[in-house]
Order: sequence, then C-alpha cells, then structure tokens
Amino acid sequence: MRALRRGALAIVTASIAWGCAIAPTQAPQPSMRIRDVARDGDETRRASQQLVLEGLRADSAHEFERARSLYQRALQVDSGNPYAYLALARQSAEQDEPELVLQYVDRAEDLLSADADPSPGAEVHLEGLRGLALAQTGETVRAHELLERAAESAPDVWGDGRLDADELR
Amino acid sequence: MRPLALIVAVSAFVLGFALAGLVAGLDRTVRARFEGVRFRVPSRVYGAPTILYPGLDWRRIDLRGALARLGYREAEGTKDLPPGQYVWSAQRLRVHLRAFAHPSRPEPARDVVMRIDDNTITEIRSVPEGEEIGAVMLEPEPLGAYYGPAREQRELVRLAELPRHLVDAVLAVEDQRFETHSGIDLRRIAGAMLANLRAGAIRQGGSTLTQQLVKNFFLTPERTLRRKLQEAVMALIVEARYDKDEILESYLNEIYLGQRGATAVHGVGEGAHLYFGKSASELGVAESALLAAIIQSPNGISPYRDPERAVQRRNLVLDLMLEQGRIDEATHTRAHAEPLQLAAVTPDANDARYFLDLLRRQLAETYPTEVLEQEGLRIYSTLDPRLQRIAAESLRKGIESIEKRRPSLVSKDGPGLQGCIVAIRPQTGELLALVGGRDYRVSQFDRCTQARRQVGSVFKPFVYIAALEPFRGPPLITLASRLDDSPLEIQTPSGPWRPTNYDREFHGEVGVRDALEQSYNVATARLAQRVGIERVVDVAQRLGIESALPRVPSLALGTAEIAPVELARAYATLASEGVRPTTQTVEDVVDGEGHVMEKRRLRFERVLDAGTAFLATSLLEGVAERGTARSLRAGGLRGAVAAKTGTTDEERDLWFVGYTPDLVAVVWVGFDTPRGLGIPSSVGALPIWRSFIEGVTGGVVRGGFPKPPVIEQASIDPGSGALALAGCPGRRDEFFLAGTLPTEICPADDVPPTGGGLFHWLRGRL
Repeated sequence: MRALRRGALAIVTASIAWGCAIAPTQAPQPSMRIRDVARDGDETRRASQQLVLEGLRADSAHEFERARSLYQRALQVDSGNPYAYLALARQSAEQDEPELVLQYVDRAEDLLSADADPSPGAEVHLEGLRGLALAQTGETVRAHELLERAAESAPDVWGDGRLDADELR
Repeated sequence: MRPLALIVAVSAFVLGFALAGLVAGLDRTVRARFEGVRFRVPSRVYGAPTILYPGLDWRRIDLRGALARLGYREAEGTKDLPPGQYVWSAQRLRVHLRAFAHPSRPEPARDVVMRIDDNTITEIRSVPEGEEIGAVMLEPEPLGAYYGPAREQRELVRLAELPRHLVDAVLAVEDQRFETHSGIDLRRIAGAMLANLRAGAIRQGGSTLTQQLVKNFFLTPERTLRRKLQEAVMALIVEARYDKDEILESYLNEIYLGQRGATAVHGVGEGAHLYFGKSASELGVAESALLAAIIQSPNGISPYRDPERAVQRRNLVLDLMLEQGRIDEATHTRAHAEPLQLAAVTPDANDARYFLDLLRRQLAETYPTEVLEQEGLRIYSTLDPRLQRIAAESLRKGIESIEKRRPSLVSKDGPGLQGCIVAIRPQTGELLALVGGRDYRVSQFDRCTQARRQVGSVFKPFVYIAALEPFRGPPLITLASRLDDSPLEIQTPSGPWRPTNYDREFHGEVGVRDALEQSYNVATARLAQRVGIERVVDVAQRLGIESALPRVPSLALGTAEIAPVELARAYATLASEGVRPTTQTVEDVVDGEGHVMEKRRLRFERVLDAGTAFLATSLLEGVAERGTARSLRAGGLRGAVAAKTGTTDEERDLWFVGYTPDLVAVVWVGFDTPRGLGIPSSVGALPIWRSFIEGVTGGVVRGGFPKPPVIEQASIDPGSGALALAGCPGRRDEFFLAGTLPTEICPADDVPPTGGGLFHWLRGRL
C-alpha cells in the first residue's frame, strides 16, 4: 500500500517538475519562511517560533523524532501557533502519513485564517502539503491540481513538488 | 578390605555425593539468577519538560523549585560550571543544563546565562558563544515509578560508564583484594576474627564483595555458621563461573544505599541521584568516596542525618584510596577539603498518584504488570508537574474551605467530602493535570476518570450548540433569538415532566444569552424539545462525550451521568474552535535497553464548524462575565475565559467547567455516596477552578479566542433580537454566522427600502 502511495506521489511530483520546466515563466509569489515571521507576535509566540526553527534544523539533520518533539514543545509554549502545525504537516508528508498531514494542514489553516495578521505566503505551503497528502492517499487528480498551483506560485520551493525543512525554515 | 575401611570409604562416598549434590543445587540457584532477570527495575514516569524563554515569569513557574527537584546545585563561582549546577545572582542566572538522554530525541547539555529583571527572564544567551537563544528546556521531572511489592528503585549502570575513582573507592573500603581473591579472602577473614576477638564482639565482617553480593541476591541476613558456609560456597561458584567485571557490575547495581521516603534505593546509579542529583558517571572523587562510605550503614552514616560522621567516614575512604595507591596525594588533598554538597531531598511526589494510576490502567493493555514493575521502562508523559501541584493545592484548599463554611459536611468516617480536577491543553489534547480526590492516601478512587456523575447545567451548552449549528438549512436560533421561559409540561412515559428554575421562578421571554448566562432550565428544556433530543445527543457525542446519554427530555438539564474527563474533552473541542483532540497522556515509552517502544502522535478531528464553536464560546464568555460564573473575576482574573457552572438536584454534585484559549479545566465536588451539600457550584466548585487558573496564569490569561472569518458582527436590539438602527432604544453588538443576521429592524416602523437601496439606506442609518 505504501509502495503504491509512493508510486502515485512520484508520478504526480515528476509531472509537476516536468510541467514547471516547460511552462512559460509566471511572476512567482513569495513563499513564506518561518524565519521571516519568527520575530512577529508576543514573547510567547516568538519563543514558540524559535522551537519550530530548531525543529526544522533537526529535521534537516534527519533527527526526525527530535524535530517532532521540538514542534510539540513549540505547541506547549503556544498551542495556537499555526507554524508549528505547518512544520508537523511537512514532516508527516515526508514520513508518508497523509492522514496526519491533512489534520495538521487544516489546523494550521484555521489558525492562520483567524490570525489578525496572517502571513501572505503561507497559503502556498498549505496547498502544496495538502496536494502531497492527497497524492499519498491516491487522489491524484486533485493532488496534481494543488501541487501544480503551488509550483506555479512558488516555483523556487514547490517546483520539485516537495517542501524541504530548509525551504520552510 | 577391612570392614572399618569399607565403612569409611562408603561414608566418604555418600558424603561426597551429598556434597556434590548440594554444590550442584547452589550452582543451579546462582545460574538461574545471573542468567535470568538479574535486577528488577521499576518503570519510571516523567512529566513534560519545563521550557524557559524570554518573557517568562520565573517565580510563577517556580524555577528555583524545578532546579531543586531536578537535583541542580547552586555553585559559588561560574568558572567551569559543570552540568547540573547554577549560579544565581541579582539579575543573572547562569545554569549548565544537563543533557537529556533519549534514544531518538536527545538534547545536549547547554551552558546558558539568563538575564532577569524582577520576576521576568528577559534574555537567554549561550556560554561562552554569547548567542541569543529563543528557548531552552529543563529535562523532564520524574513523577513516580511503578514499584513491585519490594518498593526498590535503581538505575542500572554499566561498569564501563563509571568513573574509575568510584570503583576504586568502593574496592578500597569494601574489598581491597577483590581483583586477586577467588571469592573468599582468608587474610581478611583472619583479620576480622582477630579484631572481633580483641573487641569481644562482632565488629568487623570478613566478607568479600562477592560474598556480599551472594548474601544480597540469595540469602537472609542471619549470622549462622550454616548461612556463612553457604555464602562462601556460592561466592566460590560465582567467581568460578563469571568474570570479575560482571561480578563488580552486579554488586554496584545491587548494594543498598538508603531510602527515598518509603522507597529503598539500590545501586550506585540511583544512589548518585539520591545524594548528588546526578548520574554516577558524573561523580567526582569526593562524591565517590562518600557513596562508598555509606555502603557499610546507609541509614547510620546518612549525610543528611549526620553530615559530620559522613564526612569523617568519607575521608577515611579517601585515606584508604591513598594508602592503596588508588589516588595520588594531590587528589587526596583536594577531595579531603571538599565540602559536603548534597542534592535537595526529593521524596516521591504524592501529587501525581492518580495520574500514575490512570497511566498504569492505560498502559496495562500493552505492558503487563511484571514489565512495568521490573523492566525499567521510561514513560514520558504529558503531565505538567507545575500545573499538577497547583491543581492539587487548589482542590485541597477549596474542599477545606467548603467544610469550614459548612461544618455539617465534615464526616469522621469514610473519605468524606471529595472532589477532583482535570486539565487538558485543548489544541493538542494533552492531559496536563489530574487530581482524582482530595487525598490519595485515604482514597485511591479517581473521581475524574473512574466516576460518572450527573452533570447538571454543564450539559446545557450542548443544547444551545445543537440549536446554533446549521443543520439541513439555517440554524434554529442565533445569539439574537428570544426563548420562552414560561411554565412547561412535557408528557413522558413515566408521567408529565415539569421543569423549574433554580430560583423557582419563570422569566417569560428571554434572550439566548440570558437563558444560558442565568442557566434557566425551562427555556433550555423547551429549546431542546424544539431542536430534538437526538440532535443534542449527536452534538454531545461529536464533541467527545462517550457515556450513555438517555434520550429523555431531562437530558437537556444534565441528568446524564458523565465522567469529568469526558466533559474536559468536550469543552476542549469548543476551546479549539470545533476541532476535537484525542486525549493524550503519553508522548513515548523507552525500554530498559534504550529502545523506543512506542510513540504517540497528536491527533484531532473537526467535529463542529468553527463559527458555531465560536458562538458557543462567546455564550460561555458571557456566563463568566455576567452570569452564574461572574464571581470568577472577583480575585482580579483578567483575560479571555469561557465557563459554565453546574449544580444537580439537592446540590449533590457541584461542577465547574471553564477554559481559556490554552487550557480547559473541569472541577467536580461532592460525596462518593451522593448527599446534598447545601451550596451551589458558584460557591463550591468555582473558587477551586479560579484558584487553579490564577495559579497557572498569574491572574492574566494570554490571548483571546480567535474569531473565524465566517463570523459577522452587528448591533441588535436585545429586547427584540432585531437589527438595531439609529433610534433603537437598546443596542448590543452580537456575533452571527455569515448569512444569519436578523431580518427584523428596530425601530420597527423604520422600514428599509427593498432592492439595491438597502445598502445605502443601512449605511445612512448606521
């Protein structure tokens, strides 16, 4: 089942990458990085963001459990931090846990939409991650649509159909 | 052959055979222990780590207490501050945080300095780099352990991990010829006999370390010749079968080193934590000598009880180490001069026992009792030790205060007036605090997770949510709607049911907010009839109620019996904007060999639209501001709070459920065998909740409940529920789901034009 999921995901991401390579260039949208918003909010939110950043560094170093624990610590400090859910969603996508990706993306989206000062570049990550999760569950048509949109909006990040920890950091 | 010689030969043969049989039996016993489970190590439960960051009030989080409980020691100078020590000056805290050893999420030791202004941490920087750090973690605090009947605690250590001076200290004082003898030391025995003859009493033992190990493993402490012989034979067997390192390692893990409350501490690993608050691998020479000194009589030479005697004995060990060439002169002098530095006494916390029991019940499905009591699992839980202490204190004081107010409630027999409190982080479902009764020593029954009681009015919000939630069309009511609180009679199979209000009056037509804020029974019962009991049940179940809910009209008023922890989850769903979290008590479990056995993920599910959840929260904020819970603010509590009181018939159960954006807590007060308390929830349960939240937040709640984009705001006339325009006698701002604004206008004769002119007309009026 996992192999099938991975196969579907590989096909979708490869086609996105190919599409991006041959498509006429559009004006790209800026995609959000957590370090850009790390100084926003009150001290509690900032501390939480630092833990998310540390978690993303751990993710880049393949210390996945440590990274997950740091995201959980970020929520311990500020349980309404949407970026912690975004980071959890990214990691869950990488670990082929689509159900969790969708839960975390929905949560991040709810919190971002209620945020008085939402980050404009976060939507592309929500779309892309949702696309990845749907590709993993076999909903390839909708997944393709979302991933293509993400790739068009932020080709530098989503052009290869994935979101690295460094790219989110 | 002569008959005598034959008799001697036969006797010798029989004796030899019997002896061989005896030795073989002892050999079997030795092998069974050494090759089976050598040590029983109780599993240990840890709380969530404390996180430190700029902006935090260090007094509120009890940072000094946390450092003491974790065995951190205050040092005098900051030069080369080792892990586990700190220096606290007027505006600076330098602390060398210990590493957190975990197989998959380790954290390195970190030397940091914090700038402190008054009570607030204003900056954290690394030492010596000086880099600014956003947040640092203290290692998790131990909450307790799952002991077997013997109540022994030990942390297993490997010989290779121990500092050589610790091994040398033990050998110097307990068995200096350990490396060369074969299990028994004849020179030592002769020396001991001589000393005892001179003293005219047994003063010295001649046992080797191997004999001591054999005695502790297999034999009783009685001093008989038979037992001594057995011990000697078994020591020889052990030495013949196993190498010196294995024997020494077993000994160092087995020796008794004192008590932590009712728990016996065994082995140098646990001993190092007990006396010095650090791992055995971190012990210095003087500390190692002290630990070795204690072995002879852990309670008699206890450095806590008699520090002077302990230092004398420590110095004796240091002298022996020097004499035997195990340390040099300089080391000896330095260690000799070292003052006694002991860890703060940390008896087993009593506060978290109900939580430990809950965890045990949950873990029992995966880990049998023997595994929990013997295999040394490390269970990392979600419990916040600080919140747990505040919850326990709030509950205890709250119940005492009720008894003071109503002495007739004090009972001499049985567990008396009881209560419980449970707190959850709504967004993640992590259980943060659980106190199942006023005193675990008196009653271990957990009233928050094991008891189901009638819930009274804390059930009512589910009725309002069912009516506010769009269902196959627009919702039945909005927050501007009017409800009927006039006398009501409902026919039921058991006869007519006529609900009444707590104040025994009927209030006629009332607003939705008034009905819930004042907890009107009749208006709520009538609303439940309009929306349908099935819909009410559906909402309650979606939010997280798992107990059976009877489909009867009185369900609307809370006649169902529900466990407090279920209510906590249901209200957590409201606090997290309609997303129901899975209650989580454990983050992960690590086995004795250091493998992660299981890890649990945060999980949640949207079960209610964010708009309806927000309206429900807004209603419950009204209860805290103007309604039955308005005394919440009496102590000066500030910030976003949503709450509901609940008092069942004859005041037998007092409930209070409330939440802030980050925390939901449920309080129940009552007798195990239901009996009237004579006071309402606002007098009995509310003060406990208030004390808890004030303790946790310092009286100021951070943030607010987020308003989702589907929510619109408009002015209404509270008397009629109509949209209020200029000239309307009463006005109040109200929240609505998009598309559900009232269509009536106040004043009523100010009729708006139809079609495209409506917008311009409204703009002019507003």
